[in-house]
Amino acid sequence: MRGLAEDDKTPFLGRRITPGIRIVAIAVISIILMMVDHASTSLTPVRSTLAVATQPIQMIAEMPGEVAHYLGRYFDRGQLITENEALEQKVLLLQARLQRLASLQAENERIRALLASASSLDQNVLIARILSVSPDPYRHYIKLNKGSSDGVFVGQALVDANGIMGQITDVTPLDSRAILITDANHGIPVEINRTGLQTIAQGSGKTDELRLPFLANNSDIRADDLLVTSGLGGRYPAGYPVAHVTSVVHQPGDEFLDVVANPTAHLNRGREVLLVWTSNTEAQAREDAVASEAQPQGETGAEPTAP
Amino acid sequence: MIIERRVSGLLILATLGAALFLALLPLPDALSAIRPAIYAATVLFWVLMQPMSFGLIAAWCCGILIDVIYGTPFGEHGLALAVAGYAVIRMRELLWTFPVWQQSVLLLPVFVLYEFVLFWIDGVAGAEVNQWWRWLPVLTTAVIWPFWASILERIAEFEVG
Repeated sequence: MRGLAEDDKTPFLGRRITPGIRIVAIAVISIILMMVDHASTSLTPVRSTLAVATQPIQMIAEMPGEVAHYLGRYFDRGQLITENEALEQKVLLLQARLQRLASLQAENERIRALLASASSLDQNVLIARILSVSPDPYRHYIKLNKGSSDGVFVGQALVDANGIMGQITDVTPLDSRAILITDANHGIPVEINRTGLQTIAQGSGKTDELRLPFLANNSDIRADDLLVTSGLGGRYPAGYPVAHVTSVVHQPGDEFLDVVANPTAHLNRGREVLLVWTSNTEAQAREDAVASEAQPQGETGAEPTAP
Repeated sequence: MIIERRVSGLLILATLGAALFLALLPLPDALSAIRPAIYAATVLFWVLMQPMSFGLIAAWCCGILIDVIYGTPFGEHGLALAVAGYAVIRMRELLWTFPVWQQSVLLLPVFVLYEFVLFWIDGVAGAEVNQWWRWLPVLTTAVIWPFWASILERIAEFEVG
């Protein structure tokens, strides 16, 4: 075995650095990096560059699951046929409903026009595939195969066939990361469909549970109430289903109700999601872009260049 | 022992890639909670076995990569791996005197340290997960260490001849 004292000390400017000094330096740098990362978006380019570099490994890690998925499809012909039949019936049903919806929408537009309201029901959507789910069981993130080159932006809402799933938090040119509504750090402004009562639904960290911690004891809410997005805060488009209330418990002595809801979207199933553009959110994104472009000028104190 | 000989950087990268693959493999929720920190174990293995080429800065860079993939605060896993790596460096003379499969017990506190740094930073960043099963990966990592480390050792010995 060799002498260690010399190995550990790399020469630097003629001096030798011990691991002790090095760990202190690393700790300081890490803490500064984390604070910068937390407070500003200036590290985003570094992150997205590295993310593109690690893409291959992530794709390889996803491969066994994908292969199993496709093999399963290949062999289950009977299941495919039944699935196809069920889907055909569903399409028929939905088309019938859609016909009614078209006339309803037209009517709604007419009435809105009469009211001179600016808001429109037109919404663009883009289908994105889920590339991977967070390997960390305590963070509910998914990775999508659409990025800023497809027009995806931070804060964009994500829905599936049954309701709101979450919102985009990071965008790289080729993919994006979205936080799900059940992440413990996520809150979504909702209203109770039956009464219009507005509140906030917070993620619980479990994939099938949302909590509504800010409802006073006398609030009109029951089990089976549907929660829909209220559109307040400007992130989520209004009127999408979010969750069904599963239990309302009043703890004697507590000032707020203990309300648990079950997300309507299938958060841990399915491989496709819809990214939603509304005229509202697009305007918001443009404003954000303008603001972020204007910001550096303001900071440096330079005169904005007038056209 | 492969301490005295330099293993090629390519091999180290390949093992790290393999560990990353295992760490990212999608698992059901219940299994995911006890998934061993195999990537951290690999980094610490190289810190332990390659004192001349794989040090704290390399460990830190490996952690930064994880932060990018997981979307955690930039530097969180970097710091955790560097701190754990430092602990390994401080006790490596002792570790070298044991065969790989007996090192688990000595490394258990190091794995606890690694998870604790992550736990702490998560708490400060407001993403606290304070459930007892959060600490299960410490045990599973210690359990797989003998197997994983001896595989890595074989591969490295095979390469250096």
